[in-house]
Amino acid sequence: MSVEIAHKELDNKKQSNEAVGSTEPAVSIVSSDSKDPPVIELDNLCVSYDRPILQGLKAQMRGRCIGLLGPNGAGKTTLLNTLLGFNRPTSGQVRLFGQKLASNNQQIRSHLGYMPERDAFIADMTGIRFVRMMAELSGLSSKEALERAHEVFFYVGLGEARYRNVDSYSLGMKQLAKLAQAIVHGPRLLFLDEPTNGLDPPARSRMLQLIREIRDSGDTHIVIASHLLPDIESCCDEVLVLKEGRIAKYCNLEEERRSNKQFLLLQIRGDEGAFVQGLRHLGCEVAIPNRRRIKVIIPEGVEIKQLYSLAEQHSVQIRSLDYKRDTLEDIFLRAMDEESVSIENQT
Amino acid sequence: MAIFLKAYKGYEGSLSPSFNRTLVIFRYALADAMKTRFFTAFFVLSLLLPLGLTCFLYFYHNIEMLSQLHLSQREMPVIDGSFFAIFVQQPQNALLFFMTLVLGPTMISPDLRNNAMPLYLSRPITASTYILGKGLVLLTLGSMMSWLPTILLFFVQSYLAGDGWMSEHWYIPFASMITCLLWIISLSLVAFTVSAFVKWKALARGMFFGVLFLSSLFGQVIERIFGGIAGNLVDINSGLKVLSSGFYRTTSELLGSIPDMETSHAVMQFIAIGIIALFILVHRIKSFQRVS
Repeated sequence: MSVEIAHKELDNKKQSNEAVGSTEPAVSIVSSDSKDPPVIELDNLCVSYDRPILQGLKAQMRGRCIGLLGPNGAGKTTLLNTLLGFNRPTSGQVRLFGQKLASNNQQIRSHLGYMPERDAFIADMTGIRFVRMMAELSGLSSKEALERAHEVFFYVGLGEARYRNVDSYSLGMKQLAKLAQAIVHGPRLLFLDEPTNGLDPPARSRMLQLIREIRDSGDTHIVIASHLLPDIESCCDEVLVLKEGRIAKYCNLEEERRSNKQFLLLQIRGDEGAFVQGLRHLGCEVAIPNRRRIKVIIPEGVEIKQLYSLAEQHSVQIRSLDYKRDTLEDIFLRAMDEESVSIENQT
Repeated sequence: MAIFLKAYKGYEGSLSPSFNRTLVIFRYALADAMKTRFFTAFFVLSLLLPLGLTCFLYFYHNIEMLSQLHLSQREMPVIDGSFFAIFVQQPQNALLFFMTLVLGPTMISPDLRNNAMPLYLSRPITASTYILGKGLVLLTLGSMMSWLPTILLFFVQSYLAGDGWMSEHWYIPFASMITCLLWIISLSLVAFTVSAFVKWKALARGMFFGVLFLSSLFGQVIERIFGGIAGNLVDINSGLKVLSSGFYRTTSELLGSIPDMETSHAVMQFIAIGIIALFILVHRIKSFQRVS
């Protein structure tokens, strides 16, 4: 999927603030390839209960699988509930697939699937009856609903347990049953709230595998809210990082990693002291996490071949040279720091 | 997506019209209600009342059989509005109350206890659709236990009595239908509202009983202290007596002391109770969207 995202946070913050006349920092991210309407479009979205929860969110999301990240209380669940039409925005609006959520709520909901974070099921029902009912409520005929309920139970791996009461399921099985009810009607947009909560490692791995398969089917866009960075990293192509009700970062993970090519990890053999000294003379920042492995941040203007020349001068072998790829944790922590600096500068 | 393939595929078929979602909730809730042996037994037994009354009407009009039993029509109650109000409507009121007590709290409490509301409300249904679907169960079962058999009894009596009995007592089916519907709807909404605040069925039943009992007691206290109809307006039982008396055109002592209140006031009382309960209920159900 080719998604190009223009990362102009600082400029956009200023522009959007000027446009709305607000002092709140807002981030505007516009996807440059915008022939199709965005999957999710937030237009200066504000949600308040007794205090502001979401403030001036602006984003156009086109990813196949979008991760919603943020520390506790950042507004992830509120945003998810707003996208589901549970919360009414105080101001601004939400568009899903180009349609205004406020005016086409019922129509849009036919195409949404939702897996809540907490245990959620209908009492005294077998798994198959529960999922069938959910499919019928989404608009499938009784026959279709039964057929797809069976299929989806086998798909998530609960085929043998489909005639058992949902109440008797283990935590992992309940998570899978919740996923089954969320996908039984083949939604175009699937919201997963902490899908791996409480799962043991094999079950978690299975859940993530299912999410990736659904993503790769190409029929469904997925939004995952989670505080588990590895989960998001293994499934999502885009992430939206929230902090204190604002967008701290919205990026395409692959683009973000590619944009940071200056960080090198070298494995060397030879006189490392002299080589490091030489690197520092070139203006590189050098860290030595352990012997023979050094991390180098090369400044603008310095090319890789200069490193090889330097190695030759000091009779050092470069055994391997890797571009260090940022992990999601790096991106997340940087977003948190940048946002803090930005907020401090604003105040 | 076939079972053996175990691969995910989106759905591209047609979707049912939106009113169908109400019927889905109704269908599943009705199946759940009839799943318990206790309620099924109660429902079947409740149909014995109209069956017994049909037999009574048959004997009433069978002079030969009455004479064999050394009875005459004069020794038996006259079949008119009073008969229907006392021997049909009153027992039905009690049956409907019991039905609502048994079923009402089981409709919403379990969904709230198991956090099912976000599952319902994330689909193309509203809080009103949900309440309507659940309420239709009580309305359907209640109707089958009350005014529908009464209409049947009315036609049986009209056929057996002949001589213009039907044209003389045309108001009976309407009286039964309006009284029963008002009673079922208001009781159901009160039961739903109470159960929307309590997660446990038994507690919800107790609270439903308590709310009706306390409102009745409160109404009587107001009436004793201030007089007038203010107290009767709070007491749903008084309203029911006024409805029966007014619609069935009877002042029989067997109905008990009938409060001095216009029938229209009693109707307004039931409508007001229903609206207040519905208002609270819809807001209560909606609030579950927020906390999910």
